[in-house]
Amino acid sequence: MGVTEQGLLERDKDTMTLNMGPQHPSTHGVFRVILEMDGEIVRSAEPDIGFLHTGIEKNAENKRYVHCIPMTDRLDYLSPPQNNLAFCLTTEKLLGVKELPARADYLRVMMCELGRIGSHLVWLGTHALDIGAMTVFLYTWREREMILDLNEMISGVRMMTSYIRIGGVAQDATPEWLDGVRKFVDYFPAKVDEYESLLTNNPIWLDRTRGIGTLTKDEAILWSMSGPILRAAGLDWDWRKKKPYSRYDEFKFDVPTQDHGDIYDRYLVRVEEMRQSREIVKQALDHLPDGPYKIEDNKISLPPRDTLHTSMEALIHHFKLVSDGVKVPKGEAYVPTEGPRGEVGFHIVSDGSNTPYRVKMRAPSFMGIPGMCQIMEGAFISDVVAIIGSVDIVMGEVDR
Amino acid sequence: MTNEEIREQIDAIFESAIKHSAVTEHGDLVVHVAVEQFLMLMAYLKQNRDYDFDYLSQITGVDYLEMDPDREFRFDVVYELYSMSKDHHIQIHVGLPEEEPTLPSVYHLWRGADFPERELYDMFGIIVMDHPNMKRLLMPEDWEGHPLLKDYPLTVEEVAFSHNPDHKSELIKTPEDMKVDPWA
Repeated sequence: MGVTEQGLLERDKDTMTLNMGPQHPSTHGVFRVILEMDGEIVRSAEPDIGFLHTGIEKNAENKRYVHCIPMTDRLDYLSPPQNNLAFCLTTEKLLGVKELPARADYLRVMMCELGRIGSHLVWLGTHALDIGAMTVFLYTWREREMILDLNEMISGVRMMTSYIRIGGVAQDATPEWLDGVRKFVDYFPAKVDEYESLLTNNPIWLDRTRGIGTLTKDEAILWSMSGPILRAAGLDWDWRKKKPYSRYDEFKFDVPTQDHGDIYDRYLVRVEEMRQSREIVKQALDHLPDGPYKIEDNKISLPPRDTLHTSMEALIHHFKLVSDGVKVPKGEAYVPTEGPRGEVGFHIVSDGSNTPYRVKMRAPSFMGIPGMCQIMEGAFISDVVAIIGSVDIVMGEVDR
Repeated sequence: MTNEEIREQIDAIFESAIKHSAVTEHGDLVVHVAVEQFLMLMAYLKQNRDYDFDYLSQITGVDYLEMDPDREFRFDVVYELYSMSKDHHIQIHVGLPEEEPTLPSVYHLWRGADFPERELYDMFGIIVMDHPNMKRLLMPEDWEGHPLLKDYPLTVEEVAFSHNPDHKSELIKTPEDMKVDPWA
């Protein structure tokens, strides 16, 4: 301790260290951040992650490709179909699969977009709850329940669907499921308007979100942010448009963007994305093609169940696929896809065997955390929860 | 500018530093670079206005020990770079030897490299020079070993059941080590 020119006592440290998490409810999982506080203002924020580290990447090196799919569900557990899709697209690229049957692609797109709506509903509910708007949470959970019921109808599981498989999807959509999706598609737009009527012009919401947690376009690019955060900062970047996979080029939809890059803009972008996703689901439902729901190459996907009794080859293929799995040619591949939080992709290295040699997930939440802590610097302590909510991290894919 | 043009330009400028470069059958541009020239290449890719690789998507480490034991380099570090304005996409591979794998940080070029570079050290023991905050990321700070190495044991055998005590790895703790005094 010394004395300043004005004769005041000079302390070594003028800031207070404040620990937040890993059990704080607004960190959406087990995320810890160490804040250096100068009064109410955050001077620096140091993230601490790894509390949910389950070694999925190491685990995948010792499992067959098909067995990896249920593990990818557990990465971003709010939109599992997107992870399944990214993993399967990369494996299919290594396998040299050029094109899937149209019905398989359409079913994949429908599941992914329903997953995106479900994920954004969780985000909207919890984000509003963090800021103090309790009602939205109850409303969004009501609609998410419908999506989970649809998941259960088509895959047997409410959350960890593992519905998208290498070479297609697990099973065909039933007429009941399609009816359920139709009901949801007709029901949902009015509900999005309802959320907006609660928040978009709400003065408290505007005070808490406008001009706060701003990340400009250049900063967002520098910090490798992706998805809605880039789009809220004014960059029109969406892998569904840039490099269309799974026939996304056959659907008409807009990529919403905003200019300021603050919390409010991220809110507007995500709410509009829910409407656009609903558009895509509706188009896929209207134009759902008939035909097979997986490729007919039985070295990659299982032969139809009823052929096992009559065809020797089908039986052999079935036995080989179940007991030995898919053999993937040597090589490495990476396919970027657009998840609810940003770019989701798997870098897979194959050594020619039936297990992947190395699996690395490009997780948008993981890449987004350093940038998020950058935004926190200079913000008020009360805005920290709003900033965490607006970046929408999922700890499952951060820690993997 | 097409991928093939970028490949030719980089080959011409960096000559012998480029070990291998190709546009794959899927149209991806893949460049293998020597670690000595790696940082220069990265800075060039970022700062050249014609390429404008302003976005680092991810960094992946790969340990080739089991796949190809005779490989020149045991490790490959793979960088995915995009250009947001020009829609380019490039994949940079850097080979690193088994003994003291070291490479320079690209944090001052792309801030997004912060976490992936710490993960590289955490999971593979690859030392990233000049990183502002180099410490473990996912594993606890006092963890021994680097889990994604191919010779990292999947299960730890307890010493009491070991048949060959001379052969024990550093990871194996004696029962004495396992004892933790909660009041210490």
